[in-house]
Amino acid sequence: MQLELLAAAAATLVLAVVFAPPRVVRASLLTWGLAGLAGMAAIALAPSLDLVLLIVLVLAVLQARLASHRDFATRVRGPVLAVVLLAIGLAFERVDGPVLLERFGAVGIVAGLVAAIGLFPYIHEFDPEESVVASPIPWIAFIGPLLAVTVMSWTRQVVAADVSDAFGAVLIGLGLLNVAWGSIASWRTESDAAAWRYSFMADWGLALCGFGMAISDGMAAALVLLVSVVLGRLPLYLWSRQALREKRPADRPINLLIAALLAGSAPFAGFAARVLLLRGATQLYWPLALVLALAMLLWLPASLRLGRSLGGPRGRQAVGVAIVLALNVLLGLYPQPLLKLAGL
Amino acid sequence: MVAVEAAAALLAWLGASLLVLADGRRGLALGLALLTAGFAVLALAGGLQLGAAVVAAGGGIAAWQCWRSPAANWGIMPAGSTPRLVLCIGSGLLGLWIAAVVTLGPGSALRFAILVVLGLMGARVLSSSELHVVLAGIAGLALALGAAPGLDLLSDGTVPDVAGGLIAAGVMALPRSAHVHSGAAEPDKRAT
Repeated sequence: MQLELLAAAAATLVLAVVFAPPRVVRASLLTWGLAGLAGMAAIALAPSLDLVLLIVLVLAVLQARLASHRDFATRVRGPVLAVVLLAIGLAFERVDGPVLLERFGAVGIVAGLVAAIGLFPYIHEFDPEESVVASPIPWIAFIGPLLAVTVMSWTRQVVAADVSDAFGAVLIGLGLLNVAWGSIASWRTESDAAAWRYSFMADWGLALCGFGMAISDGMAAALVLLVSVVLGRLPLYLWSRQALREKRPADRPINLLIAALLAGSAPFAGFAARVLLLRGATQLYWPLALVLALAMLLWLPASLRLGRSLGGPRGRQAVGVAIVLALNVLLGLYPQPLLKLAGL
Repeated sequence: MVAVEAAAALLAWLGASLLVLADGRRGLALGLALLTAGFAVLALAGGLQLGAAVVAAGGGIAAWQCWRSPAANWGIMPAGSTPRLVLCIGSGLLGLWIAAVVTLGPGSALRFAILVVLGLMGARVLSSSELHVVLAGIAGLALALGAAPGLDLLSDGTVPDVAGGLIAAGVMALPRSAHVHSGAAEPDKRAT
């Protein structure tokens, strides 16, 4: 799964740089994007989870050094908390002790993962005026997906079988909380930039539920969702920033299509992921599927709002939006090649 | 050997506690030096000679960087630091209980050192907004992370130890002007 997410992140970087709005400083975006990709490659290739945590620490310090209105200590706090929670959780799993300690370890690992990405209840501080590379967006949408998949794959080897139920339950619980928090906040918040950020949280909530199910349908849903975050929501967010700053929303057919993509409607990738997730939930515990189906309706108002906020894409930006739409349709109609590549 | 490991773990806790209790650069440097000595001895006791050397060198460089900073003072236990003192003692007792009573098997000194340093460094970074304090906390955290694979008997801890030592030295050697945040250094709002 790491290779697929790394490839998706690289493709998004190319799209973001090539089809960036006119006033964007491409060199900065490309430089920091490549640095992020190098960090992601290191995370994917690291021979142990301890090294992954050290790489995350380095990435956090390097990112927090970038010029921003937020100070260094504030920006480094989230990732450092994540590293500490993950390390303590991992230590509890490694030592010979009672099952209760292992359960605490599992909770620590999930909490650390959520803190690393910046999800509820460890939401990173967000400044809409901040440049994307210095903001929490790389954690939630660029590095985060690959980091989560890597941590999950290492954790499955460490967490004992009698604790895996608790591990999955905490993931699903936090996933549902993030679905509700992210989708409602994305709909109701005043700032459009904050609405975009909350929409990432909502998508992540579904991905956490998929990971927590620990069955192939759930894992497949999580992978498709994360690829759609990296290849769909992230580039659209990047291209919406100029329109957000200039406050020029639009209600054209293209905005409706974008809203459909963001809401996970057919035939986009989000729809395939939702179907897989519901199928997995039905196999596991049918009331969960009911809760998820109801929660998925919450995406609609927020997505309509976000679709409008992109304005009327013109020129090369319109080409970029068309490519993103096409890629997401392709992924929604034929997710099988991606899943096969990931061994699911 | 057990006594040496226990003394090293105690040294690591003492160093982490100093990092929590000190606000001045010299106090932080002394804390980092003690922490480094503790983890270097623990790595050596675990048979990781290369790891121990790099931890000692990396932590030593970090402590030296902290020590030679301009306007260095000790600043150990300034007024109002009672909660921090309670945290240090409480975390030490909790760590000792988990390492020696709750968990089983050899290596209780390493378990104690890792758990207590991770907790204290995390608390220090989260509770401070001073740049030099946060960087010293991150350096200490890197050393503890490097030692963590020692808890797993099957894993080789040399590479994480080396990485931890290098990161500790690198974090403290970051150019100061680059991460000082001020209103004068206005971020480029155009960049996405």
